[in-house]
Amino acid sequence: MIIPVRCFTCGKVIADLYERFMELTADQPETDGPAMNELGLKRYCCRRMIMTHVDLIEKLLHYNPAERDMSKKAMNH
Amino acid sequence: MPGPSQKELDRRKRVGVNKHTVSNVSSTDFPGHYPGEDHSFNINQFIKNCTIQFHQRSPSQSVFSLIGIDTSIANALRRILLSEIPTLAIEDVFVYNNTSIIADEVLAHRLGLIPLRIANAEGLKSMQWYFKRPSDEAEQAELPENFQESIPTADNCVVLTLKASCSWRNDGKKRWEQGEREPTRLYEGSNVYAHQLEFDGHGRQPDVLGNVEPVNPDILVAKMRPGQILDLRLHCYKGIGKDHAKFSPVATASYRLLPTIDILQPILGQEARKFARCFPKGVIGIETVSGADANRDSGYAGHEGEEKAVVKDTFNDTVSRECLRHDEFKDKVRLGRVRDHFIFSVESTGQFESAELFVEAAKVLKGKCARFRGNLQQLIR
Ligand SMILES: [Zn+2]
Repeated sequence: MIIPVRCFTCGKVIADLYERFMELTADQPETDGPAMNELGLKRYCCRRMIMTHVDLIEKLLHYNPAERDMSKKAMNH
Repeated sequence: MPGPSQKELDRRKRVGVNKHTVSNVSSTDFPGHYPGEDHSFNINQFIKNCTIQFHQRSPSQSVFSLIGIDTSIANALRRILLSEIPTLAIEDVFVYNNTSIIADEVLAHRLGLIPLRIANAEGLKSMQWYFKRPSDEAEQAELPENFQESIPTADNCVVLTLKASCSWRNDGKKRWEQGEREPTRLYEGSNVYAHQLEFDGHGRQPDVLGNVEPVNPDILVAKMRPGQILDLRLHCYKGIGKDHAKFSPVATASYRLLPTIDILQPILGQEARKFARCFPKGVIGIETVSGADANRDSGYAGHEGEEKAVVKDTFNDTVSRECLRHDEFKDKVRLGRVRDHFIFSVESTGQFESAELFVEAAKVLKGKCARFRGNLQQLIR
């Protein structure tokens, strides 16, 4: 759902690299290899964590009950 | 009685890497294995033989050779690095409010995995262990009768707090209507990062520990949308990797044995180039057969001026055995590894410097030995 904090296999912290990875590959998706090199991901266990992650939380964030509560509150006033 | 020759000693500690098998894998330098030879442990001999050479050293990664030590000890050090050096990590999470879409237990697990650095690293030593009653019934039955669950105090517990909330930016709603969908331009605080953890020092903690903060400030802990709130109080305890991998101070700690390549018969001309391509770059070099070569070794006689393959640097060899798949090379080369030459690679997760970790591991091993000796002495009493 959200990027895991650490690599499942070796335990390297990767959650701080995902956003930078997305920035580096935003325009040209074929540059993911060099981007991972730049982030210092040298083992294939860590590379697959970043490369194959699907950020599904972005989809779930569209459903926000807190927003509804806020507008309800505003209407009652 | 004269001892074995140097050549024989080198042969004994050479592990053979053959096409489909490995040979000579066990060490034989222990008392009683070779008749008439004394292989009992001698501390002076050990000090003379054991050396450490650094190949790479940075705070996050160290690569070094540990030479002249038995596998059992090298492996003990590796395993201690992985699972027995204490560090601090978040263990108990008290959730006062969490309206984000990440469930409490998932959030608690994510927080636990964040490596924490203590500004004054020595301060961790003065921290006491925190004993928790296991939730598992079978494990509870195994507890000693005098077991006492710890109470969090300033001596065994570090408190962090995490307060985060997300809201619309001033012009966020307007931008949304204009079709802007980039969260950072619409919302304030939509990403919760590890640097938002705050150290809440109790008692002497600010003096003893200094500050406690995440090693990687940019770890993405959670994502939120307007109106969602996080209000957490986190208890960090001292623990070891054996208990939970989050306490492990290394990302990886591994070793490999130094590879060896022996060219038994000359490999010349085009074959030499093909042979070099069987190995990573720089492992096999190409040289010209000199007059001296031709005189010294009958194999090179008559080939003066031709190219020959020579072993340059085996350190980077991956021991892929590719050369053994070719019929023209398989009898001309012997691959192996040196049994007592360990090339360690230690990658720290950031709580300690990588080279320091190895010293720490040696200290833990020393402590274990001292405890074992004490127990043995109790046995004979
Ligand atoms: Zn990894």
